[in-house]
Amino acid sequence: MVSLLVGCALVTLLTTFGIIYMLIKESIGFFSSDGINVWDFLTGTKWSVGRTQGDDFDYGIWPLLSGTLRITVIAMMLALPLGLVTAIYLSEYAPKGVRAILKPTLEILAGIPTVVLGFFAVKFITPNILAHLGDFKTFNAAAAGIAVGILCIPLVASLAEDALRAVPRSLREGAYGLGSTKLETTLKVIVPAALSGIISAFLLAVARAIGETMVVALAAGSSPTFTADPRVPSQTMTGFIVHTFKSENVVPGTTGYYSIYAVAAMLFLITFVITLIGQIVRLRYREEYN
Amino acid sequence: MSQNDNFYSNPKAESTRKFTSSVFAMACLIVSSLAVVILVTLLATIVISGKSVFVVKKDQDGNVVSRFDADEATEGTDESGEIRSGVNWNFLSGDHVDNKPEQSGIGQAVLGSALICLICAAVAIPIGIGTAIFLEEFQPRNKILRWIHGLVQLNISNLAGVPSIVYGILGLTTFVYLFNVLPSIKTDPTPIPWEVGATHWYQTRTLGKNIVRFKAGDRTETPIELTQNEICVDGEGNEFELIIVDKRSDAPADAELRKGYALRGRKASMVKDTWPWFFRLPFGKCLLSAALTLALVILPIVIISSQEAIRAVPRSIREAAFGMGATQWQVVRKTVLPAATPGIMTGAILSMSRAIGEAAPVLAVMGGVLGTTRGIESLMSQTPVLPVTIYGWAGDHNAGFENASSAAIIVLLVVLLVMNSIAILIRNRYEKKLS
Repeated sequence: MVSLLVGCALVTLLTTFGIIYMLIKESIGFFSSDGINVWDFLTGTKWSVGRTQGDDFDYGIWPLLSGTLRITVIAMMLALPLGLVTAIYLSEYAPKGVRAILKPTLEILAGIPTVVLGFFAVKFITPNILAHLGDFKTFNAAAAGIAVGILCIPLVASLAEDALRAVPRSLREGAYGLGSTKLETTLKVIVPAALSGIISAFLLAVARAIGETMVVALAAGSSPTFTADPRVPSQTMTGFIVHTFKSENVVPGTTGYYSIYAVAAMLFLITFVITLIGQIVRLRYREEYN
Repeated sequence: MSQNDNFYSNPKAESTRKFTSSVFAMACLIVSSLAVVILVTLLATIVISGKSVFVVKKDQDGNVVSRFDADEATEGTDESGEIRSGVNWNFLSGDHVDNKPEQSGIGQAVLGSALICLICAAVAIPIGIGTAIFLEEFQPRNKILRWIHGLVQLNISNLAGVPSIVYGILGLTTFVYLFNVLPSIKTDPTPIPWEVGATHWYQTRTLGKNIVRFKAGDRTETPIELTQNEICVDGEGNEFELIIVDKRSDAPADAELRKGYALRGRKASMVKDTWPWFFRLPFGKCLLSAALTLALVILPIVIISSQEAIRAVPRSIREAAFGMGATQWQVVRKTVLPAATPGIMTGAILSMSRAIGEAAPVLAVMGGVLGTTRGIESLMSQTPVLPVTIYGWAGDHNAGFENASSAAIIVLLVVLLVMNSIAILIRNRYEKKLS
């Protein structure tokens, strides 16, 4: 019986090894193709896989990376403050009635499929909000960033709230006893005490935003641009992968096809490192109270 | 600066401090309520767009001829126009039709989503529960097992952070192409997978303009040139020998007789009939691949929620069972699992709702299929699913698909709402207070 359970447990290990093996093997396959080298991939500022005929394409990752970066920065500018404030409110201030509305709202928001948020970004955020603010294209990084931010708010809020709630009551009472107001208690005692948990929540949100796919595939457009301008279309690493699979304009087995694996390896590496740092921060710098 | 910073020794600032504190509380409330505003806006946008009224015109036989947005068609609609909202029976049961949003529906997509979700549940839930039991209930004494124990636990939280599109690529590489062991990724379009439950035919058109087919036998290349005297079957099931002629005029003029003649140089391409048990290796782009990939995506979630449910079962219950002389396995099966079932079920249903809404892995594995002419014949069929349909329609150049897309979103959200309600119901109803 135990062997059956071990077998179940091994599936998760196999998945991880499968992902790593696949990404390494196929990326090596890509980089050892004719005319492809790692340096151009890591430093190039032009990406045209799937947009040209045959094997003649540019494969510098920076346009995709900058797209991911733009959208992640915009998303985090929205999700981190909003998520943290919501968490503080829920853990320190919210009366029962407000909590009974806010908590389910966040849960529903967290459960909305990302493709729906992508639709919302194209059909609402761009035409009804951004169009009044400046010269935003139909598909732009800002709308995608805002939608990804919306998606990250519940994640940040719930993880940060857990961290804030884990701070023992005695610390709050100590601060009140010294004459602090609620604001001072919250900002100078509780938040610092929960800092490791909050930072790890932030890092998980960043990883989530980087890996987010359907929102950017719908809202950010499909032209890889190397710029910092949030108003123009931008393709992210995830967006490139999805567009390639959807349009099927890259023939399986060609060199261009294997560039998907190189991009996916980059994506996996970045999210993996960030998730790992998040876990280390949470476990290593946790303040222990008894 | 140091004077102002040190708030403990500055009694004059006390009222200011209290004021700041209450302002902050208000600000917190306002910022937090943004989540509610966002959710309401999101739902309103979708409902308004998806429930937009169409004017449906039908011909004498009752077939839908066209469907307009009511705003655009206020003038010139004749009496035969019938007004209906976006989500209706035609929409729920119909299939995708290219360039015709007014005739498109989500019938295949709903069926595809349901089937994929069922297979995904059948795979992920047992494995997830098994892993959770292994992690929570067994303290291995064996050194290798203890090593696996620690590694799996560490691994699960990392897996939960892997972007779903990476799972999609994993599914594509393992299930669809089987690591290219049987070389199925290649640039010439003649994959030769290992398969059972299919009959291969070559199909061609004769001079009588009718389609005939003949058994492929051992031949695998496609298309092939026709050969003399091939035994063919026509649409009605009649068997005859196909005669190849050099010129059109060599064949008899009578249309009935011309059926058995084909021009030299004409090509026949391969088609296949599949049985419901049709199976092949590698799986190829099909619903089984998609379901297995989604199972990998939700596995960490199932494991984590099952672990929490098992952990919530109080220690005393286990100890009582052990005290009665139960073995480890009996304790798990007869006491821990029954007590943890509501929690496990809740987690399982929530992860199912995650699987139903996932588009990226399915897109990677099956491509952006919006509809198939043959429907679902076996596990090896391609099928559209709801989120991929939403994605495909939302990005369509035909603006009418925008409304169809939001109507599909409404259906998806209703399905998710029902699933989540069931999960909450189970949690509230069966959660016995054990501690």
